[in-house]
Amino acid sequence: MTTRTDLEHWIGRAALGDRQAFSDLYSATSAKLFGVILRVLKDQAEAEEVLQEVYLRVWRNAARYQINGFSPMTWLITIARNAAVDRKRRRPAAGVVSDPNVVEAQADPRPGPEQAAIAASDSTRLRGCLDELSDGHADAVRGAYLEGETYADLAQRFDVPLNTMRTWLRRSLITLKECLSR
Amino acid sequence: MSDETPDHEADKALAGEYALGLLSPDEAAAFEARLATDAQLRAAYADWAEDLASLTDRIEPVAPPPDSFGRIEARLFGPPRRPAGPVWRRWGLGVAVAAGLAVAVGLATGVLERGPIPPDTPSYQAELVAEDRSLVVSAAYDAGQGRLFIERQQGGPRAGRALELWVIAGEDAPVSLGVLPEAARADLDVPPALRGRLDGAVLAISDEPPGGSPTGAPTGDVLAAGPITKL
Repeated sequence: MTTRTDLEHWIGRAALGDRQAFSDLYSATSAKLFGVILRVLKDQAEAEEVLQEVYLRVWRNAARYQINGFSPMTWLITIARNAAVDRKRRRPAAGVVSDPNVVEAQADPRPGPEQAAIAASDSTRLRGCLDELSDGHADAVRGAYLEGETYADLAQRFDVPLNTMRTWLRRSLITLKECLSR
Repeated sequence: MSDETPDHEADKALAGEYALGLLSPDEAAAFEARLATDAQLRAAYADWAEDLASLTDRIEPVAPPPDSFGRIEARLFGPPRRPAGPVWRRWGLGVAVAAGLAVAVGLATGVLERGPIPPDTPSYQAELVAEDRSLVVSAAYDAGQGRLFIERQQGGPRAGRALELWVIAGEDAPVSLGVLPEAARADLDVPPALRGRLDGAVLAISDEPPGGSPTGAPTGDVLAAGPITKL
């Protein structure tokens, strides 16, 4: 069973150029990341390309990963999810793309108190809090994260003006964060 | 969280929008510029990243294709130096380079020189070119006679070493066609079993001890390689 300590060790070693550690990290995490990428893209060939790009970024940015910032799985999942969403949005109908390098660079050496939260409890905690959102807004959050939906996509789906969608979602995010911070 | 100012609250929403990828490019760039200097904003973003990543908890792992890691390594570190995995990976780089040059080099060298004569109507040809062009060898195959005409146009063996020619068909291990003679030109017999399999195969030259590889497989560096193309 791979532990958080293992992952941090491998990332740290990879930052020093240790290819065996990189290989171990890949063995332990690639199936999860491939699952996430496939979930976003739903296309095997595209997902394979994105998976390669993700691990290129992991290798090149391992030195910028700080063990006290993102948890290692969050760091990896965020890189994979963002890369997949970027790819998806570069399909015919292009949308907003954030800088793919920022995630890798933004690990914070001084964690806020919230970051000490244990990852294992997040799933049910987040689900419970999403359930508290008014109708549809949990779907909007999931759609943005897992499908890469933009405000324009969401406005169309919920059949409201874009600005209304944004106001709603921002309010929902604040509500969600309050719930998660309880 | 009763001590929160409206600004702080707005930042939390903003960090959430950023984590979801909902900001416009301009907004995202402005957010990223603030991240560099604002520890509280960084913490808010990391917090969202952590929470949102749990949306993937229910996504089942899917094993990527078995060759995926090899491709990642090749992109990061170049082709492996020692034979590992498919034979093709050893020749990948040389083949790519040679393919680009194959058209340019051609076989138009003096026909009247001494030694073997290139076939009048070759069925296949290949150009084997080292990455730095220190070794250039052209090849033309006469299907009627099962004869491979070789002409070394540039370079030669290293001191006290020999050049050995190999053919690689499909995923098979390399098969030796023999050691290249000192003369620039040579005729080599292609074993009957290989004659039908040359289309799309690869020719490669390795650095070997005098007399050729003692093991039956290439033992030294691959100096030049090129794909066989039909004429």
